[in-house]
Amino acid sequence: VIRCQLSPPQRPLQASAVLRRASDEQKKEPLASSSQQQFDSHPTDHQPEQEPQGPRPSYTGQGGQESEDYESEEQLQHRILTAALEFVPEHGWTAEAIAEGAKTLGLSVAAAGMFHSDGSELILHFVSQCNTKLSDLLEQEQKLVQLGEAEKKPTDQFLRDAVEARLRMLIPYIEKWPQALSILLLPHNIPSSLNLLTSMIDDIWHYAGDQSTDFNWYTRRAVLTGIYNTTELVMMQDSSPDFEDTWRFLENRVADAMNMGNTANQVQSTGEAVVQGLMGAAVTIRNLAGLNQRR
Amino acid sequence: SPAGGASLRPCSTRVTLEGINKPVIDRIIRVDHAGEYGANRIYAGQMAVLGRSSVGPVIQQMWNQEKDHLKKFNELMVAYRVRPTVLLPFWNVAGFVLGAGSALLGKKGAMACTVAVEESISDHYNSQIRTLMEEDPEKYKELLQIIKQFRDDEREHHDIGLEHDAEAAPAYSVLKTAIQLGCKAAIFLSERI
Repeated sequence: VIRCQLSPPQRPLQASAVLRRASDEQKKEPLASSSQQQFDSHPTDHQPEQEPQGPRPSYTGQGGQESEDYESEEQLQHRILTAALEFVPEHGWTAEAIAEGAKTLGLSVAAAGMFHSDGSELILHFVSQCNTKLSDLLEQEQKLVQLGEAEKKPTDQFLRDAVEARLRMLIPYIEKWPQALSILLLPHNIPSSLNLLTSMIDDIWHYAGDQSTDFNWYTRRAVLTGIYNTTELVMMQDSSPDFEDTWRFLENRVADAMNMGNTANQVQSTGEAVVQGLMGAAVTIRNLAGLNQRR
Repeated sequence: SPAGGASLRPCSTRVTLEGINKPVIDRIIRVDHAGEYGANRIYAGQMAVLGRSSVGPVIQQMWNQEKDHLKKFNELMVAYRVRPTVLLPFWNVAGFVLGAGSALLGKKGAMACTVAVEESISDHYNSQIRTLMEEDPEKYKELLQIIKQFRDDEREHHDIGLEHDAEAAPAYSVLKTAIQLGCKAAIFLSERI
């Protein structure tokens, strides 16, 4: 095991330095060595002249990180948060869960200090991860349709399936999800959570084949957002087997939305017919009154 | 049938969105789409008033070109996954009113409006071309080509307007300044909202 003996980094990342020192106390081979290697090589990023000569040792750490030269703080945070998810059902969306997650990676529980105490980042990370999973799923389905291996779904079924797939990702965490929802509504979280919500809805419509470039673009997304949010709330209260009440609610809401489109068209046609009727009446009156003279 | 009717088709055209400067491209496509939409409505308004006059065919021909432009930007908007401006319903009405209003001032009034708008649009396209050239001419080759072509078309419309005595319109310079100010405001807003 070759370890770089580095003098304290000139631009220390407080967190990494604390963690490195603290994890010296909590050794857990081989996890510790892989995370050590990452911390040691991270400052190397800033001080290239201190890079060790000779072949770089390869570690097969957690997740096969041997090919990475360094890990950014963001990547580290992602790893901690992902590991923390496992502890959410027990501890909720809290710093405790993050601390437990950090422990499984061989880091100090002080790692939780990198994050807000209300668990915001953990929740946002989870939501972002779910959205990515949904996008990947929809992308794969689209590929199958393009290859002709699957039938193209009608819009209402596509929307239902997409929303159901996304909501099912909440099932393992459903007990603590109401807590998460309230945290997402905190003022300092609203920009991020809104952003995540709108991009997810936009993704679903995109894969559903939406090509509107007029105000419909907004109407459709607003409608789907409403469907998603209400279904999510219903799911929180649902105690039926496999949430079948929720899916039935979803089906009804999507059907309503489809009908809304039809109703809007009908209203427009009726409106046009009425206008035409009035115009016809006006012309008739003009004729009768002898006012319709050619100029 | 699905909400909104006809514009749901299988998700097909997609340019690769990796590596492009999304915020810049978003703005460009959004504002250009709004511009072509507005131009369409302006010509529609002019045709409503002057459709049966001697300049009818000229306006109709320019309108047809704008329709093609709008169609192209609709495609680009879907391909780059750009959000349209919220103000579209407003430009719908405002464009029509501007077109009809200028046409009520007479044929020269309509032509003056055309000159003012087309000059604004071609200046605007020029600055977008500069922006894209500064970013990366190779990466945005297709988009640049399209914008250059459209800029040339708009310049042509501008020249046609001048040929048809736009400058003899009543209060030509006041009209032109006012319309161009409106265009600047429309561009500013459509880029952002």
